[in-house]
Amino acid sequence: MSRRLATSLAIFLSVVALALGATFAAGNEPSLGLDLQGGVSVTQEPVGEYNSESLDIAVERIRERVDSLGVAEPEIIRQGDAIVVNLPGVENQDEAIRLVQVTGEVLLRPVLAATPITSNENPSASVPTADPGASSTVAPTDSGAPTDSGAPTSIAAPPISLTLAPPATATPGPSRRPMGTPTTTISAATVAPAPSDSSTSVPTESSTTVAADTSGSTTTVVSAEPTVDPNLAGGDPSDPTATVIARNADGSEIYQLGPAFASGEVFNSDAQADIIQGGWGVRVTLKGGAAGADLWNVGASQCFSGGATCPTRRMAIVLDGVVQSAPTVNQPSFSGGVDITGSFSESEAKDLARVLKSGALPVRLEVQAVQTVSPTLGDDSLQAAIIAGLIGVALVLLFMLFYYRTLALVVVGGLLVSGAIQWSVISLLSKTNGLALSLSGAAGIIVSIGVTVDSYVVFFEKLKDEVRAGRTMRNSAERSFKSAWRTIIAADIVSLIGAFTLWYLTVGSVRGFAFFLGLSTLCDMVVAWFFTRPTMLLIARGRRYGGGRALGVDSSSTGVASPAGGAA
Amino acid sequence: MSDVVVSKSLWGRLYNGQTSFDFYGKRRRGFGLSLALIVISIVSLFTRGVNLGIDFEGGVAWQVPASATMNVDAARSVLDDNGVETSSAKIQTLTSGTEEFIRIQVGDEPTEVRTAVQNQLAEEAGVSVDEVSVSSVSSSWGRTITEKAVRALIIFLVLVSMYIAWRFEWRMALAAILAMMHDVLVSVGIYSLTGFEVTPATIVAFLTILGFSLYDTIVVFDKVQDNVKRFSGTRVPVADIVNVSANQVLMRSLNTSIAAILPVLSLLVLGSGVFGAIALREFSLALLVGVTTGAYSSVFIATPLYAIFKEREPKFASLRGSHVTGTALQQMVVTGLPSGNRAVKRVEASSGEAQTADVSASAVLTHPPRPRKKRRR
Repeated sequence: MSRRLATSLAIFLSVVALALGATFAAGNEPSLGLDLQGGVSVTQEPVGEYNSESLDIAVERIRERVDSLGVAEPEIIRQGDAIVVNLPGVENQDEAIRLVQVTGEVLLRPVLAATPITSNENPSASVPTADPGASSTVAPTDSGAPTDSGAPTSIAAPPISLTLAPPATATPGPSRRPMGTPTTTISAATVAPAPSDSSTSVPTESSTTVAADTSGSTTTVVSAEPTVDPNLAGGDPSDPTATVIARNADGSEIYQLGPAFASGEVFNSDAQADIIQGGWGVRVTLKGGAAGADLWNVGASQCFSGGATCPTRRMAIVLDGVVQSAPTVNQPSFSGGVDITGSFSESEAKDLARVLKSGALPVRLEVQAVQTVSPTLGDDSLQAAIIAGLIGVALVLLFMLFYYRTLALVVVGGLLVSGAIQWSVISLLSKTNGLALSLSGAAGIIVSIGVTVDSYVVFFEKLKDEVRAGRTMRNSAERSFKSAWRTIIAADIVSLIGAFTLWYLTVGSVRGFAFFLGLSTLCDMVVAWFFTRPTMLLIARGRRYGGGRALGVDSSSTGVASPAGGAA
Repeated sequence: MSDVVVSKSLWGRLYNGQTSFDFYGKRRRGFGLSLALIVISIVSLFTRGVNLGIDFEGGVAWQVPASATMNVDAARSVLDDNGVETSSAKIQTLTSGTEEFIRIQVGDEPTEVRTAVQNQLAEEAGVSVDEVSVSSVSSSWGRTITEKAVRALIIFLVLVSMYIAWRFEWRMALAAILAMMHDVLVSVGIYSLTGFEVTPATIVAFLTILGFSLYDTIVVFDKVQDNVKRFSGTRVPVADIVNVSANQVLMRSLNTSIAAILPVLSLLVLGSGVFGAIALREFSLALLVGVTTGAYSSVFIATPLYAIFKEREPKFASLRGSHVTGTALQQMVVTGLPSGNRAVKRVEASSGEAQTADVSASAVLTHPPRPRKKRRR
């Protein structure tokens, strides 16, 4: 029994020591919250209608922007629907707001000119023109929507390749897939019921295909299209009416884009990645009426005809100033659905689908709170909290030492172990999850010292009772730990319930507090079971403390003790 | 009367858990004091209200280092220059260590005004724009935060009540929640009286108070539950059980409170007083008040309340009003056994070894027979 206790204690201590050592070796340390470091915090919340997809995308977009600016240790947290962005070190509030304001609005712009930035992809130009065949054969089988009239697809494909998409002829070669930019094609997948299609007698309607080539990496494309001077200044990307310069996501091509003729809101929010024509593509349906299909068709026909407004016949899908895809339009008019096909990888197709889905119902984020914390104030607070906290702990330990004599050393050990665990966990979470230690968190930890010490007080008081009742130290330690453990669990569970409820349901600093409260409560329980219990039981077995004098309780003469001189 | 030697000094009795305070009998004093505090709090809440920070009401706050050219009047004129309503503006001087700050708080203002005021404040104070910190919270966001916090609080209370009712009994849940509300009310009352600003940190402090109060109460109730079981075979009034339990855990409560108060006191006195971190001051003050009332209420409010609820049980109803005090109570506290004719004569042991004489009665009463351990062999 003793050996088992000693082993478990040794294992526990070495685990803690290892964790702490690893933390130091890896150079992890708790990152400091904004209130301790100084910086700007911006809280945004979506207003109006939006879906969770678009919110996710907005968060990603914010993260990309913040990362691209090289802000050290930014903290981007989603709390319910609110997005909190903490930018330590940023001092200019307006800059911070500009940085984090994204709309998630998808604009559809005609491509006036496109130029690949890297030239080392030329070989791909030689990819055989397999496109027409591929699209025509695959599309019918693929348009799996129940209402589809599959037949027209076969009509669609051949004319496309002939008339409008010379570059698109290079499309589907699997060999090109690994390369950065997908070669894309848009084709229509009709979701509208077939009868209506035929009655309206719009020939292109039911299954138009837009073939596109975004890669632009082919030599043919370059020669066929006007080139873009990368240094050309463009208008404000968020202004739909401006002519802008934009790049695609991986920066392999640069575009000059005309004024947007529509936004992503022409689509229904149902875009999904699917296998179309044997490769990954995106299928999306158009909204009906003036705000949907009509608007889209205006642009599609312009691009299809390749006039001055859309000389390249390509239509760029632009999110937040970045071209997501720029497919060539393969037919002038669409009715039900649109297929975007080409050499997408599965994840590329899914990304594009997500973009379209969120663009269909863009999230409008409104800045709800902006807080600037000056770093000097942060510095002062931090130092004060640390010094005051340490002195507070020292006072508590002195008090314990005075009251419980040598046994207080166990309390010291327990607090050290608990501190080591918390330091390791917080450091780890700082690194992996961007958790930051805020002032309220730090204060919460200081307060939790009281709770941790209480576990010992409960235990020691019960121990005293038992010893006083005349039991041996050894016997008392076991009995009193059992009953103290019950009390500790009961009380700690209340704290845990509180911590969890608050963490789950609130935002801001209360949430941070709840996290640290939960962490320190768990720590308290772990330390009580794995450290205090074996240590105390081993001490109680030892010859030295067998008499219970360490507690200030003299079991030899039940309850005479008036320890500290008995001040009246 | 007793063979057990009871310390002559109060400290000795406290130290050895031999006090005999009649918490139940004197309950009206505790209730009276608390009632008075609550009435003051509520009156103050209705007449003075609480000073909610911008995080809950929405608004803009600037903080600028004070200097010869930058004082409250200068700040006011800056607001005037920018067309900000100054009648409702809160402008105050904060001292943080050696530095002084002017803090200006107004209602919701558009971004342009925020920036303009920030720039002008920096100019007038002769510091760079970065040194003027600005916080702004839209009023709708403030409302959301408040609503969320209130909702979380209600759910928390329901969950905790359910837990206590399940782990202990519903009377304890009721008493614990009432005691906790008392603590929070008193703490809020102090905020209302002093006019301290309620910030998110304050809410954090209140939550800590709430948690601490419950925690403390539960430790006391754990003892009460123990004693209810222990005395279950005897005709002992609830009042006695409660008194015995409260006295037995008194030192624990005191120790815990001291252990919790020391760091908080250190934060308050050293952190905000000596080192001048303003952010710490109100936080630690709220905690200090809360932890103190939490310790007080678990013994003086929650425990007697529980006794009152419990006395309605038929088993205890007939025993009402017959609780013992003084040495008889002390006897029960010390021995953990019912007093009167049932009192067990304890034999003073001469050595450090276990007494042999009292095994018969006390061993039977104090703990159930232990089942044989299987693991041993």
